[in-house]
Amino acid sequence: ELPDGGARPNAAQFKQLVVTALRELHGEVGAALPVDVLTYEEKTLSAILRVISSGLVKLWSALTLLGFYQNRRCAFRVLQTSPFLLALSGNSRELIL
Amino acid sequence: MVRFKNRYVLCELVSEDPRCRHCIEDRTLGLVVRDAIARVHGDYGLACCSISFTVKYLNAYTGTVLLRCRKDSYGLLCSALPFVRYLESRAQRYPCFLNTLHVGGTIRTCQKFLIQYNRTQLLRLLQNCATQEERQCIQKSLLSCSLTEEQSQSGDEEEDDGTE
Repeated sequence: ELPDGGARPNAAQFKQLVVTALRELHGEVGAALPVDVLTYEEKTLSAILRVISSGLVKLWSALTLLGFYQNRRCAFRVLQTSPFLLALSGNSRELIL
Repeated sequence: MVRFKNRYVLCELVSEDPRCRHCIEDRTLGLVVRDAIARVHGDYGLACCSISFTVKYLNAYTGTVLLRCRKDSYGLLCSALPFVRYLESRAQRYPCFLNTLHVGGTIRTCQKFLIQYNRTQLLRLLQNCATQEERQCIQKSLLSCSLTEEQSQSGDEEEDDGTE
């Protein structure tokens, strides 16, 4: 989420942001965690990230604690996590796709 | 029984520069190690390891260093030790590295290991001696650090550390 309407990051900058967040909280070891950006939409600023299951805690904590993007306040909201990609496409409780 | 368990990491500071040995202090070494942990493991790792982190013992002559940290985070500390590349003191940088010798749960086990290690090192030095004088010097120091009945255990250990 970027509250002020500034320049939106593209996919590469988004990945750079994620890696920077990991590096700040977990150091070089965290920055070396293999994170993939599977999809990225610049309009809604939402993305699907893939990470190894042992790295979920590190990634989520790093994203939560990231506050700034190019000196602008920002926040990451995690909407859904799941081990299966298909589960992210719909709301499995209401069975609406 | 609930108590805080610590791990004591015994390291050896190795550097080619002989001046480096004389000007290391426990505070500078602590700062250098914490800086390395911050680089490798970030803010979280630094905070984790700094809970109970101190430089317990430092011997400038032999370069022996004893670090203490919590049992939960000693893995982070040990993995960050190879990233200590140089020591900064008085605006001088000395390239060096830390060899981990032993990790123990108490200072006493580390001390026992250090005595054994120093004994083997003295014997190895004896074999690698070039001149006869060096040989005699080392032999004399080896013979003088034997345990007599009047001497206490701590006296023997101090002699062992001091005659390196």
